[in-house]
Amino acid sequence: MHPLVLLATGYAALLLAAAAALEWLARHTAARSERYRTAGFTYRPDHDLWLCPRDEPLWPYEVDRQHRLVRYRARPSVCNACPVKADCTATHTGREIVRPIDPWPHSEAGRFHRGVSVTLTVLAAAFLVTAIATHHRPPELVVTVPVTALTGWLLWRWARDFLRTPSGFPDTVTVGRNDDGAVDGTDRAPAAVPTRPGPVLVDLIPPSRRRPGTAWGFDRQPAGARYRSTRPGNRRSEEDPQ
Amino acid sequence: MAVTQDGSTGVDRRGLLVSKTWLQAVALVVLLGFAVLGLLAYRTYTAEPPIPDRVVGADGRVLFTGKDVSRGQQVFLHNGLMEYGSVFGHGAYLGPDFTDDYLHRAAESVTRQLGGAGAAQGVEQVVRDFQTNRYDQQTKTLTYTREQAVAFDENVAYYVDFFGDPKTDKGLRPKAITDREQVRQLTAFFSWTAWAASAHRPGKDYSYTNNWPPEPLVGNAPTANVVVWSVLSLIALLAGIGALFAAFGRWGDRLGWRGRQADTLSFRSPDAVTLTPAQRATAWFFLVVGLLFLVQTLVGAASEHYRAEVTDFFGFDLAKLLPYNLVRTWHLQLALFWVAASFLAAGIFLAPIIAGREPKRQNVLAYVLLGAVAVVVFGSLIGEALSIHGVFSEPGSFFASQGFEYLDLARVWQVLLTVGLFVWAAILFRGVRGRLRRDHAGNMPWLFFLSALAIPAFYAVGLLAQSGDNFTHADFWRFWVVHLWVEDFLELFTTVMVAYIFVMLGVVRERVAMTVIYLDILLYSAGGVIGTMHHLYFSGEPAEHMALGAFFSAAEVIPLTFLTVEAWSFLQLGARQEAKSATPFPHRWAVMFLVAVGFWNFLGAGIFGFLINLPIVSYYEIGTALTANHGHAAMMGVYGMLAMGLALFCLRYLIPERHWPDRLARLSFWSANLGLLWMCFATLLPVGILQLYESVDSGYHAARTLKYVTNPTNSVFEWLRLPGDIVFIVGGVLPFLWICWLGVRHTLRRGTRTTLEEPEDMLFTDITVPTEDGREREATAAASSSG
Repeated sequence: MHPLVLLATGYAALLLAAAAALEWLARHTAARSERYRTAGFTYRPDHDLWLCPRDEPLWPYEVDRQHRLVRYRARPSVCNACPVKADCTATHTGREIVRPIDPWPHSEAGRFHRGVSVTLTVLAAAFLVTAIATHHRPPELVVTVPVTALTGWLLWRWARDFLRTPSGFPDTVTVGRNDDGAVDGTDRAPAAVPTRPGPVLVDLIPPSRRRPGTAWGFDRQPAGARYRSTRPGNRRSEEDPQ
Repeated sequence: MAVTQDGSTGVDRRGLLVSKTWLQAVALVVLLGFAVLGLLAYRTYTAEPPIPDRVVGADGRVLFTGKDVSRGQQVFLHNGLMEYGSVFGHGAYLGPDFTDDYLHRAAESVTRQLGGAGAAQGVEQVVRDFQTNRYDQQTKTLTYTREQAVAFDENVAYYVDFFGDPKTDKGLRPKAITDREQVRQLTAFFSWTAWAASAHRPGKDYSYTNNWPPEPLVGNAPTANVVVWSVLSLIALLAGIGALFAAFGRWGDRLGWRGRQADTLSFRSPDAVTLTPAQRATAWFFLVVGLLFLVQTLVGAASEHYRAEVTDFFGFDLAKLLPYNLVRTWHLQLALFWVAASFLAAGIFLAPIIAGREPKRQNVLAYVLLGAVAVVVFGSLIGEALSIHGVFSEPGSFFASQGFEYLDLARVWQVLLTVGLFVWAAILFRGVRGRLRRDHAGNMPWLFFLSALAIPAFYAVGLLAQSGDNFTHADFWRFWVVHLWVEDFLELFTTVMVAYIFVMLGVVRERVAMTVIYLDILLYSAGGVIGTMHHLYFSGEPAEHMALGAFFSAAEVIPLTFLTVEAWSFLQLGARQEAKSATPFPHRWAVMFLVAVGFWNFLGAGIFGFLINLPIVSYYEIGTALTANHGHAAMMGVYGMLAMGLALFCLRYLIPERHWPDRLARLSFWSANLGLLWMCFATLLPVGILQLYESVDSGYHAARTLKYVTNPTNSVFEWLRLPGDIVFIVGGVLPFLWICWLGVRHTLRRGTRTTLEEPEDMLFTDITVPTEDGREREATAAASSSG
């Protein structure tokens, strides 16, 4: 067994471990970043709603296909009467919160970190392939081939969704301007934002609430007996204002 | 938002936006840290290895004088030898560590003279000879044994051959130093450092350098202090991380990071932002930044080539013109120059946005500053080339390059650069003075100005290191620049700038940004001020420098891990595009560079830094490739990426929308990051690990020989870097340079309006608030900017 084989395999394994650790850490920091944004708010996936720090619900009301988000909003009457409203929102139409549709790593930052992991995996593969090419006696292959297989699998897994999904950054819009290139101080009304075809929207609706024939668009979520307050013993009239 | 009336001038001064406790905590930590550092400075001077007036052999013959040692040090520095090899572990890594080299040779020679390695009594005698401190305080005379005197003469002859070599197969220029007297003085300097490295401190059983380098022939092994403080610092690190996370878990909510609604912002299209004359002047700064960056990477490639193939450069004898030490000097100096120039320009760019207006002729001052910077850059680089080629015969002259690693530039340029940095701080002060009057001294405009002022202030400390001084205390001041200036105060300035940019872009509110800044100052100062000593374990400072340095710099890793994870997340806030803006977020790639900064801060500074931080690791590792691994990942990963990000932020407004090359920005971002990643993991890290193994296994001396450094295995790793480096230069640097060029090209167009007044909502406009029925109405800007 040539020592180089062991060294190369060991170092490749180290690279894979580093890639996995960085992948986990990056996902963790992205989650922290999410928590900053939504500090105090809790998401209830089974009901697809958010609960504010005062335990009031925020219902989904809009899907933003451009930014690939779902927007949730609380009931304006509830927010406007809330004692800590000043800490929470400045609008009179209820506090809004957003949830990105795509799972990790489809944010821009997520893709960067995934790119790091993929590169490290490619490097590990390079070391292993060199080792196999130069030393391929059976006892050496016993060591190198399994690690190479692991590398290949990780590479396929990680690179696949990295390459498959776009970053989701909204298309840049060219703002209209005068012919001579000068721009006056006022913002013109921008050209209509081109919406790219996204995935079929029905994927966004959790299975428990999928009903045939309905689609999410810019319609309001129908009022619901479904959306009762989750706090027991504190029921109030449940008609959603329009 | 409290507003207090300033009675004397009647100006309404905005009150402190965060709790006063922050200010008090920061003041306490900083004062305490610098008080300790002051004590350590005193101890450095009182406990450094003394330079004897004369060194005599056993028969009384004077071998060399104290003056020879100082002169020899100047010969070492002015010939750029600290950028070829090292002394006390500090310097470059292609050549040998001369402290260790002299010590090893002398020990071998003495062993031979005493009967060879076979004679056990001889071996013990060697150890006794080297460890006994025969320096007489009264007569200021150091006495060598007869064998050591013979060894000295042998080494003089050896170094005469070494430096007078007409061939270039070591990476030095042919006939680097031919003056016999200078080589003798050089050897005297090496001899003194070797003496300091082996002779025991009075009253202690370890040497002036805490028994570094590891050399069995003279009985140098890790001391108890080295091991114990490594363990204690590791425990401190683990306990500290736990404590910090616990504290944050308990009180984190109070830090005010609670998310407010992502108000819909309407970003001003870059074309709609009218720039001030000084802002347009920064386009030229960024072109200079791009050019210096390109040259820096090219000389970096050249120095890398020496490591891969030391004897020739694709058939051309490069060492005749550009020997290794010259290209490495330029590589290091340019790294500082292009990054600093980018920060200077970004500061000038941000000032009118902060102040809301710009005084007249600010652009003239900016151009003058640019001219001065150009003079310093070209003057110092040319001066270094002349020095290394032996043009300056008088080593202590004002124009000869000083040759300290990172402070290579000549005195005259160092003074001019310091003055230039103060001029820059004055330009900023002039620009934001009005705003400063309207704000409490703890708020962001003041933080911006004060952190900018700290830059020339701490760079000026480097003036205390003179090339003829005792190396121990010169090194002490040098590391104030290399560590405090680079890792603390530049870091502070960049934190303030990034936070300000996020505030300007509406990503976070001012109060939140300030909390981040104060937390940053607090945590970095707690560990980083005293932690400066982690560079000075083995440079002749007493053991308390090592103890405190190890303990506190591990403490530096605690906030670094924590803060970089937090900062990493904080920076990702900017990368989220949620706002329902009429115009898209214009700073996609600038902010992505900031996300990369967060990543590299964690990996390059935190992980790779801690890897070499413990005294017991540094004992075997100092002066080897793991240091280069940390250096590249941290300096390029953090400061380089940040400089590029700031440049893109400013250039976004300098280049008209329809000419903005978004694809090139994307290419530059991905290539620079992946290229750097490749460099670190394909070459620097594995070579470093192998070299550390060799150092522990076969000895430090063996691991630093040219034979080892250029052995076939290492050569393969060095060549493996080529694809990554090509990607970095061609994909990362060239597109960046092109974007900088576009900034200048479009600034040269006549007829573009400029203004001296900036609107309050310069970068994003009034917040639009959706109403119930879906129509949008404008809210007042005042409501949006309220804290």
